[in-house]
Amino acid sequence: MPTVRIALLTIRLVMRTKVALFFTFLFPLVFLFAYAGLIARGNPNVVAYMFGPVVTLNIMGSGFFGLGMQSVMQRERGSLRRYRLAPIGPRTILLSNLLANYLLELPAIGLLLFTAVVFFHMPMKIGWVTLLVLVTVGTFAFAGFGLTISSVANTMQEAQIYNNLVWFTLLFLSGVTFPLPMLPRWVQRLAMFFPSTYLVSTFQGVMAQAESLPDHWPEMLVLLTSGVFGLLFAMKLFRWEKEERISTKAKLWSAVFVLPFLVMGMWMNTRANPAANWARSYNVAGRANAASPNPEAEKPNLIENFDGIQASEDLLSRWQISTDSDVSGHSMAETSLLTPGAEGTPHAMRLKGHLAPGPKDAQGHVSARYEVRVPVGSRNLRGIEFEARGEPRIYQVGFQPPKAAASPVPEISFVPGEAWQNVRVPIAWLANPSGYGLAGGPWTLEISVTGPAGEFALDLDEIRFY
Amino acid sequence: MASLTENSVLVSVQNLQKHYGDLAALGGISFDILQGEVFGLLGPNGAGKTTTIEIIEGLRQPDSGSVTVCGLDPAQASMALKERIGAQLQSTVLPDKMRVDEALRLFAGFYERSASVHMLLERFGLVEKRHTFFENLSGGQKQRLALALALVNDPELVLLDEPTVGLDPQLRRDIYALIEHFRAEGRTVLLTTHYIEEAERLCDRVAIMDRGQLVALGTPRELIARSGHGTRLEVRLAKPVGLDRLKLIEGVIDCGEADGAYFFHAQPAALAIAALVRFLESDDNALVDLHIAQPSLEDVFVEMTGRRMEH
Repeated sequence: MPTVRIALLTIRLVMRTKVALFFTFLFPLVFLFAYAGLIARGNPNVVAYMFGPVVTLNIMGSGFFGLGMQSVMQRERGSLRRYRLAPIGPRTILLSNLLANYLLELPAIGLLLFTAVVFFHMPMKIGWVTLLVLVTVGTFAFAGFGLTISSVANTMQEAQIYNNLVWFTLLFLSGVTFPLPMLPRWVQRLAMFFPSTYLVSTFQGVMAQAESLPDHWPEMLVLLTSGVFGLLFAMKLFRWEKEERISTKAKLWSAVFVLPFLVMGMWMNTRANPAANWARSYNVAGRANAASPNPEAEKPNLIENFDGIQASEDLLSRWQISTDSDVSGHSMAETSLLTPGAEGTPHAMRLKGHLAPGPKDAQGHVSARYEVRVPVGSRNLRGIEFEARGEPRIYQVGFQPPKAAASPVPEISFVPGEAWQNVRVPIAWLANPSGYGLAGGPWTLEISVTGPAGEFALDLDEIRFY
Repeated sequence: MASLTENSVLVSVQNLQKHYGDLAALGGISFDILQGEVFGLLGPNGAGKTTTIEIIEGLRQPDSGSVTVCGLDPAQASMALKERIGAQLQSTVLPDKMRVDEALRLFAGFYERSASVHMLLERFGLVEKRHTFFENLSGGQKQRLALALALVNDPELVLLDEPTVGLDPQLRRDIYALIEHFRAEGRTVLLTTHYIEEAERLCDRVAIMDRGQLVALGTPRELIARSGHGTRLEVRLAKPVGLDRLKLIEGVIDCGEADGAYFFHAQPAALAIAALVRFLESDDNALVDLHIAQPSLEDVFVEMTGRRMEH
């Protein structure tokens, strides 16, 4: 079969070319070591979080600079002309290039996986089949990208310009280089239009949150569609000779290639809420970071996740509940251990009670306090966050200094809903020059509820610095 | 081989026209190639030879006119035609790291019928080079590989585009021997060339092309005989003589001078040489050197176009 024959020979040719070997197998490892060493600092769970971006980077590189440039180079060098004399058509050439690219990608990613597991002890949270499907879909999608660019570029120089434009955009604005939750909101919104975002976030969802591939079917569908579009364009615009130039009109047609991304981006921006999911993956990796065997890495983040608590009674030693501090108390509240917690973790805490109507205009009041030691290195902390859900009602949360503050301590209000939501309490305002400083005795995280009389229930989990 | 009878038309080109923008690459040429013959398209660069052969191969579409190859239309039955023809491009480029035997095996695998790779390696003198990368082959070896690739499907029609261009004389003669072998096997060969020697030595019939036009067609002998140039003489004399006086010598058709030598076209040659000797004796001059050459296709080209072929 000509397609397989050409593909296998192409692989053999790559194996004989030192530069191609370097960029196919060794270069991705450089990125893995950089990401795992510098960003994840060797933490296995963070390595798992960063594995998706490394693989995506590798797949992107093979699509753009492997397959895409190879197609243009074959045309420029004139080696396609010899194939043209044989009884084979453009489809055979394109499919063989696609197949060779894919077959080269598999061992390259296998090597990445081996290195991540053996050298960085990355937990293998992804099944082999899931990994294979993800790599296959991703490789096909970015092959479509490479083929489209090689189809519309008339020369190598032109292809390089297009490739670099798209490459660097995707590289920096889609979570491949910087985790998406670290990027500004507008960049996150923009990232929703990029295919690399779909692949990275799917990888991270699967590897960090143990999600399944069907959870990410829209991303998979769009990636597959882009691969199909790219292949169709490449077949339609295929040229054997470098003298054959593509018209501007045909170039404009290729803009259709971005349609699936436009549709997906708009849907994600308006209907879906991927940013919250990205943050969850990021936080899960962060929590995993806290749970790592490295105590220095563990201390800075986690305050309380209730997972080490065996019984509801144990909460009493940690949480102080007070009711109706200003008037004689009729309100009541209690804490209990909840299973499971946010994002499927073992436990969470439920604060449940009743607000009594106060005399005259006074309102019932319940607060839960938790003492927090601010860790060394706190200058890098930006605040405290936690997951919350409950019956809709206004809650206040504040972070009280060890000594009575000279000026009022600001509080944050939030209203929980049925689903877990992330609540953040910035503490930057407490740092100098306001005069408190973070180090010193225990601070108090205080969550309080007041307002109309009646029942209330608030679930809390994953309290951490961020 | 095809079921066509001997001397049946294997390639028919009728009123073929092709333009590249405003440039008329082919201005309506017609010719037939008979089965078993070596047919040459002779002409300078830009004459339209490569365009013609690429239309026959099915690589280009003509603007108008018709082409039939092995009973097939190259534009309509490209794949079926490629099974029956073998072609060598003016410049064959393969991936640098592809070995000789890999290339032959790869391309042989594309066809329903294929020749033995080992036989091709032996025949084209590539056995010792079978494991050599394409980038490490010499120009002659690359050309021999290109010819071997043209034969991987045991074709009935072999199309060769400038098969010896850029090769030194010895390598060129090696290629000539291979092409003569094609003829001995009964294959039909269409070759383009701008080497007179090549066309005269290899071709049963030659079509001379210039600026997209076919200016002469026939066997080399017929074409030369049709030419009125006569035998070509080159002489060196003891003393210089004016060209106007030399032109008056009996049998001399025209004459010229270059680098101290005089060139004549003479008809009949023997009469002109005798008259020249008599003239020199009477003029107290002497013949220092004399070369006699039969008229060539180049003379035919000059007669037809008024220009020399640019090599």
